[in-house]
Order: sequence, then structure tokens, then C-alpha cells
Amino acid sequence: MIRTLLNKQIHFSQLLFFALTSSLGLGILLVAFQLFIDTQSLFSTSNDLLGNQHLIINKDLGRENAFTPEEIATIKEQKFVKKIGGFTHGTYRVVASVSVANYTSISTEMFLEAVPDEFLDIQSTEWNWKPGNREVPIIIPKNYVNLYNFGYAASTGMPQINENIIREIPIELNLYGSSKREKYNAYILDASEKINSILVPESFLKYTNKTLSPEKTNKVSRIILEVNNPSDPTVLDFLNSNNYKYLQNDLQTSKTSYFLQLILIIVLGIGILITILSITLVVTNINLLILKNKQTICQLHFLGFSSTQIAKVYHQISYKILGVSILIAFLFTLLCKFLFAPYLVKLRIDTNLFSLVYVFVAAIILFIVLVIYYTKHTNKKIQQMTAMNTSLLTSEI
Amino acid sequence: MNIHITSIIPTYFTPASSEVWGNVFYLESGEKYLVKAASGSGKSSFFNFLYGLHNKYNGTIHFDSEDISSFTELKWIQLRRKKISIVFQGLRLFPELTALENIQLKNQLTNYKTESEILGYMKRLNVAELAHKKAETLSYGQQQRIAIIRALCQPFELLLLDEPFSHIDDVQISNATQLITEEVTQRNATLIIASLGNSYNIDYTKIFLL
Repeated sequence: MIRTLLNKQIHFSQLLFFALTSSLGLGILLVAFQLFIDTQSLFSTSNDLLGNQHLIINKDLGRENAFTPEEIATIKEQKFVKKIGGFTHGTYRVVASVSVANYTSISTEMFLEAVPDEFLDIQSTEWNWKPGNREVPIIIPKNYVNLYNFGYAASTGMPQINENIIREIPIELNLYGSSKREKYNAYILDASEKINSILVPESFLKYTNKTLSPEKTNKVSRIILEVNNPSDPTVLDFLNSNNYKYLQNDLQTSKTSYFLQLILIIVLGIGILITILSITLVVTNINLLILKNKQTICQLHFLGFSSTQIAKVYHQISYKILGVSILIAFLFTLLCKFLFAPYLVKLRIDTNLFSLVYVFVAAIILFIVLVIYYTKHTNKKIQQMTAMNTSLLTSEI
Repeated sequence: MNIHITSIIPTYFTPASSEVWGNVFYLESGEKYLVKAASGSGKSSFFNFLYGLHNKYNGTIHFDSEDISSFTELKWIQLRRKKISIVFQGLRLFPELTALENIQLKNQLTNYKTESEILGYMKRLNVAELAHKKAETLSYGQQQRIAIIRALCQPFELLLLDEPFSHIDDVQISNATQLITEEVTQRNATLIIASLGNSYNIDYTKIFLL
């Protein structure tokens, strides 16, 4: 009877409003959460728009252009620098020759460089070298492969190659140091889009530098930096004031990336704002439902109904609405998943259904958290209303 | 229930000197008391203190040697269900419920009376035919009789009636006082009636002038 009495003051439209605001907030939260899980791969890879940004800097040509340890230390101290790594180059002459069956062998002078592994966009277990190994993996710039395929191969009638075939090409490296010469076999592990150089594992370069030309010191002439946003004016000011050079192209990508991040942050901010507003609206709505029944609640309390008994009626209402809202929000998330899927595929993100399991768990956790919050809030409000000395009878002396 | 009152004075208004405010007195079980006063002298306040709705007073009130200022909400809820019953001056019926539903709402807390007993009471006070009418459609006098019956539908050791007969005709007053005295005597409860002047032909142990 107490339920029918309290429900008499509650209108359907009010409950509908309650459910709508609640669904809206929860829906946005769950969709954002789902997107976050689905796009995780975008944020974690090193070669993508949203990954960490790298900038390769060098000094002007034509002067002593190695970086001194002091200069490196100064760069390292800059706030915008997250990580720093130097390009190590070989201190010996390199002649590489390739022999392909039925074709004359090609031989060329070249160079070798190395960067710390963390700056590479290629992850491979084969990317290592230990003294004693006769075979060395090499990473070449993607540009070289393109130049070969569309320039050299096309004009000379050589076969075109792709990343799979490229590994099969046997390369012989002849290294001529100041005190020793050595021969290694090498193969091209992969082609990098990020670093424009011919790279070997750092361990290989250090070892050969030491054994082939022990008297020569190794100089760092290019530096790779990891920064949040390479187009940040403070970064550019620092580089310009020290007369360090960088590739404009790197900056273009970084601007796009920064813009994208900015948009994401704005969208997320608006989403959070709407969610907070909707929770506030729901709480206000609960307050309103309780307040509308103030007189009834007080009178029930006078008669001997406990505030817990009274609160229970409101708990049941909010649990039901919350349950319906979370269900609507989950279905909405499901719908969004299928709507977004074609766009995410374009960004080369694999959308699997597993993220829905996370969303489902998140929905349950959200439901429990909100149930606890609403329960506590309702109890508090009703206790305040029925506390001693706040009764409606204050007007009766 | 034995009630021991020691020098209580409300803190939110200054009452004129009386036999209640600032005095020490006892209200004993099985006895009937009348608190007689002009409007505005604090009858409802006195009842609200005894019913646990207010504690803005100096002095102490003891129920069977327990200081009521130490009672928790839960304790008051238990008292209101099993030991103290009240008819408010403002009645506090639910206008959207019928007369019978109003009584049943109270009765269901303890299931103290059966529906036929309740209807029997309604018949005695001449309101049986109004059982299924909404409280808001009843006259104030009829509502007063419903509120009296509601107050009887629970176990009690103390019955507080705040100007319960102000809008009831003499014949019905005599019916009501008869019913109330029967119930109070049967339960050996303390009865306190507040009235503006009329003493309703009840044999009081003591009359307090407020």
C-alpha cells in the first residue's frame, strides 16, 4: 500500500525523462569505452598517426657536423623530448654485392648505420646479432624498394620484388676497416617507412667498429627524438636557435596527428561533459521524485514506517530505470559498433566482437556503481527529510 | 508506560508559566490526563516532544526511566508501532486513500486488528458507510473519527489525542470517548488529551492547565 501511495505522485513522463537522460549518459560512456578499446592498436603502434612522434635532426652540412656529448645532454634536458637516440654509423668502408642467378652480379659501395631498437617501426625477433653470427639482418628504406621496382627494374628488365622476395636476395658485405677486413652474409629483413637509412642491429655495428677500426671514434651525426608534438613552436624554436635541421615532411605528418589528437580530446571532453550532466539530471530527478512526496513521506514516518521502508520504494524505481537504461545503452553501443566498423576497417583496425565482452563487463560495473550511488543518495535524502525537528509539524505549536 | 517529566521548556518560544512547562510531574500507566489550554500555548509542541518529532526543549523526559533524548530513529519507529499512538491536531490522513485504506495502512504495520474489527469501530463512530470514500471527500469531523480509529489500530501504552473532537457533534463525541476509554482501560494505557477547554465528560486523574 505504501508503494501505491508513493507512486501516485510519480508521473510516467517524469520516469521517461529519467530513463532518457540516464540512457543518454550511459550510452555515450559505453560507446566511448568501446571505441577506446577498438582503437587501442592505433595508440600503441609506433608508425601511426596517433603513435609517438619522431623527429630526425642533424646539423648543417659542410662543417664539423657531429653532435658533441654536451649538445646531446642539452637536447635531452629539453622538456619536450621524451626519448633520444643517436644514429651510429660504421667507421669502415662497405662494399655490398648481390648475385642473382642468370644475372650479372651487382656490386656497390654503401654505408651502414644503427639506431636504438625502440625507435624502429619494425618489430621482429630476427632483428638481433651476436658476435659469431655470420649473417646480418638489414633494414632498408621503403623508398629504395620503390626506386628499384619502378626505376631500375623497369628500365633494365630485372624482376620486380616485394617484401617477401626481398628477403631471399643473398647479399655479401665486405667491410674494409683501417686495421682489418671482414666478410659477412646479409639479408634484407624489411623496409622501413620511418627511417631513411640502411640499418643493421646496433650490436653488429658496435662490434665491427671496434674490431675493424679500433682507433677511430664513433661520432653521432644524426639524432632521433621522440616528442609529443614535433610541430610545437617550442620544439621548432629550439631547433632553429641551435641551427639543427629536420625534414619538413615529418612536420606535416605531425601536424595532422596533432590536429587529430586535438579533435579526439575535444570529442572526449564533450562526451564526458554530457555524461556528467546526465548523471546530475538523474540525481536531480530522484530529488524531485522524493520532494514531490515530501508530505506523504513525513506522514508515513510519523505513523511508524522506517526511512528504510520508504526508501525501498524509490530504490526499486531507480533500479528498474537504471536496468532499462543500461540495456538501452548497451544495445546502442552494439549498434554503434556495427555502424563504425566500416570506418575502422579503413584505419586498418581489426574490429572483433571481443571488445563487446569488455563493454558488457563495464556496463555491469557501471550498473553496480550507480545502484550503490543512487541507493546512498536516496537514503540520505529521505533520512534528511524525516530527521527530528524537520517535520511538517513545526507549524503546529 | 510511566512518564517522568522534569522542567521541560521549549527553546523556540517562551511559554507563559503553567502546570506543564518548567514543572516536575509524573504521568502514570492506566491514568487519564487532560491538558487544557488556549490556542498557541504549546499543546502540540508538548505532544511532539512525547512523540519524538521534536527535541528542541530544555529539561528531560523519561519513559519508564529511560531518557528519550537518547532514543535512535529505530527506537522511535518501534515506539510508534507498538507503544505510543497519536491523533494529530492536523490529523495527517492521506487524502488520496480511502478511509479504510488510511486505517489499514497503520494497521498493517502490526496487523493488530482484523478488518471486521475495524469496520465494527467505524460503525460505532457512525462512519462505516464512508469506508470506501477517499479521505479528501470527507468532512473534517468525519476525518477526525477516522483518525481516532486509526490510532486505536495498533498496540499502545500511551495514547495522545490532540484536540480530537473539535469538529464532532456531542452524540459522536460521547460514542468516541466511550470507545477510547474502553480501549485505554483494556490496555492499561496512559491517555493524554489536549483540549481548548471542553473536558468531554471523561474521568481524569489530573487536569493540567497549560
